[in-house]
Amino acid sequence: MIYLRGEFDLCTGCGACQLACSNRAAGGYSPRLARLTVLSENENLVNRPLVCTQCENPFCMHSCPFDAISKSEKSGVVLIDKETCTGCGNCITACPDNMIRFDNGGKADKCDLCEGEPLCVKYCVPKALKLVKKLEVREVTAS
Amino acid sequence: MSSYMGKLLYVDLSAGTSSEMTLDPRLVENFVGGKGFGAKILYDLLPAGCDPLSPQNILMFMPGPLTGTLAPAMRGCVVTKSPLTGTFADSYFGGHFAQEIRFCGYDGIVIAGAASRPSYLWIDDGKVEIRSAAGIWGLDTFATVDRIREELGDLSVKTACIGPAGEKMVSFALINCEFNRHAGRAGTGAVMGSKNLKAVVLRGSKPVIPADAPGFSDTVDQAYKELAEDETIASFTADGTPASIDFANEEQLLPTNNYFDGSFEGAAGLNAEAQRKDFWLRNVACAGCPIACGKVGIIKRGRRKGLVTDVVEYETASMIGSNLGISDVREVAYLVKKCDALGLDGMSAGGVAGFAIEAFQKGLITAVDTGGLELKFGDAASADYLLETIASREGLGDLLAKGVKVAAQELDGGSDAFAVHVKGLESPAWGPRSVPGMGLALATADRGGCHQRAFPILYEVGGEWNGEEVNRSALNGKGEIVAHLQNYLAALDTLVKCDFAAYGIKDSTYCRLLETAVGKEWNVEKLMLLGERIWNQVRLFNLREGFTRAEDTLPKRFTEEPLPEGPFEGQRITLQDLDQLLDEYYAVRGWDSSGKPTDQKLKTLGLDQMPALVQAPAP
Repeated sequence: MIYLRGEFDLCTGCGACQLACSNRAAGGYSPRLARLTVLSENENLVNRPLVCTQCENPFCMHSCPFDAISKSEKSGVVLIDKETCTGCGNCITACPDNMIRFDNGGKADKCDLCEGEPLCVKYCVPKALKLVKKLEVREVTAS
Repeated sequence: MSSYMGKLLYVDLSAGTSSEMTLDPRLVENFVGGKGFGAKILYDLLPAGCDPLSPQNILMFMPGPLTGTLAPAMRGCVVTKSPLTGTFADSYFGGHFAQEIRFCGYDGIVIAGAASRPSYLWIDDGKVEIRSAAGIWGLDTFATVDRIREELGDLSVKTACIGPAGEKMVSFALINCEFNRHAGRAGTGAVMGSKNLKAVVLRGSKPVIPADAPGFSDTVDQAYKELAEDETIASFTADGTPASIDFANEEQLLPTNNYFDGSFEGAAGLNAEAQRKDFWLRNVACAGCPIACGKVGIIKRGRRKGLVTDVVEYETASMIGSNLGISDVREVAYLVKKCDALGLDGMSAGGVAGFAIEAFQKGLITAVDTGGLELKFGDAASADYLLETIASREGLGDLLAKGVKVAAQELDGGSDAFAVHVKGLESPAWGPRSVPGMGLALATADRGGCHQRAFPILYEVGGEWNGEEVNRSALNGKGEIVAHLQNYLAALDTLVKCDFAAYGIKDSTYCRLLETAVGKEWNVEKLMLLGERIWNQVRLFNLREGFTRAEDTLPKRFTEEPLPEGPFEGQRITLQDLDQLLDEYYAVRGWDSSGKPTDQKLKTLGLDQMPALVQAPAP
């Protein structure tokens, strides 16, 4: 199981993650088209990366009336099947972190972790974004 | 497809209208963006001799064709005619504002006229609205940003605004581009104030799309690699610009007590180590920048405890620190933040305050003028008082709000001997008396006393030029270095580059970024020609405004008063030295001895027959 984690103490607020993401997701550089966001607070003392954490209990998936969203058993990544998606927007309303938006074609769009090699992590020079692998308790005790 | 959005937004505040102007291909080809666009448009649209604070002047926000992409560390500039100098002025800003102009669908914003009442401009993805600023007029820059976000119900909008100093048209008022990022120099904020324009607020979601996306991506990776491997860049990441305090102090370049000296006994109180100890918490970067020279934190102890502040960068640490004899960086941080809030350029403010304190010492300003306060070097209260009074333009402040050049003229009494400026722009924090190349760079910088148009100190202090060691105190050869650097940086200011990233990213890489973004071939030779064209275009503007060789000069403090002590004791740049430097520089430039480009030079640059490329839309 893998997911993204963002660290407010390391994020410089440069937004390179959003630029790299939007270029892949939307075919051009534009942070508001990215699948993650950065909230800056208190005169940039805090920059809070907001990412899809590939929820264990994904509200987006449960709220989809067309079963277009699924969670990979192997990786844990929550994926949208664009063929099945009707663009009804239920999932967009359901996600409290606003991690889903419409793509250029009017379909729901979210972080797919770039098939395991996220571009946002690649361009995060301060290493505020990390691709994290979740271990089960037995795996921790075994190590 | 190319990374250009294809149009400029033209706003006429007098008429209350806006329109889109398609980019002329000749503008794109010959001037590229940023400074280039600004130089040509200012020349085309302004009548000669127009009052910078009249509705005739225009205020432009100019990104470049790489701004808003993943190309590392790109910015934007404000271009206008300066009320401080009367010259062309370009003032560069980081943050996220320039990128948002592009996401709104524009390659630049041109603002003409003046609103009849306090207003702000709200540009929402191509929808333009001139809104009342009645509720925010008078607020400081921090409160202005907060209130606008609240009013629009969105924390993610990007704001450029003025503070009270801009509203009152202080000649060195700045435009704040959200949190310690400013179009700081040459009084751009006063121009905005003269237009009754409190803020420009943006929200955009249009994509910027390079012509050759895979080629562009590869070149971005190359640029990231070059930055990661460069030692100077590593220093900016670790210590920010205050790392230069120690260097400047050792080399006697650090302005101290209104540039009387070049080193300061309290320098250790201002440097990176002091700042880290007193308040740094974390690195902060402008949009798309992997360097992150910003260092935000909270002051830990003392009477400024709890103050949130960004790094006190080198220029203000010097101009408001050592130049005013103040050695406690916490006090300097407080004063610089006050400048930001009031909307004053901290560099000019430091220069003006230094001038005022020296004038007080010499009896030209007295306690009658200051409400009983004795102005002293090394006294934060003196500086605090001066900043307040300048921003409010009350009493003495009204005189000082005009900048040191005009203040010295009005104060008289020989005060021009210690008014440290070039063409009216208060000098930056690099005292040039022991580095004549830097003196030449200051004397010939297009917007007045500026270190960012060429910084030959890097070569003069232990550096090489064309494979040979540069003699620090020599005059010969400095003209070539200065002209070359000015051309190169003017070219990169079309993109719009960050000064610091340019230490790490190679010229060929910048060319490759540009060509893959715009889909036209670029090489270093063509880039240098572009820079030279722009430098000459700006020169044509300044010549048209009446500037001559006589204004390519240095203040008396640098020409008449030798450094008083230390390893470079006795050094200065005499007027004879300056003449020699200028003769060589003009010759290298292909300018005649009066500093005017020859017909041949203009022809080589394609400027001899260049028509006006931009016209104001009919109202």
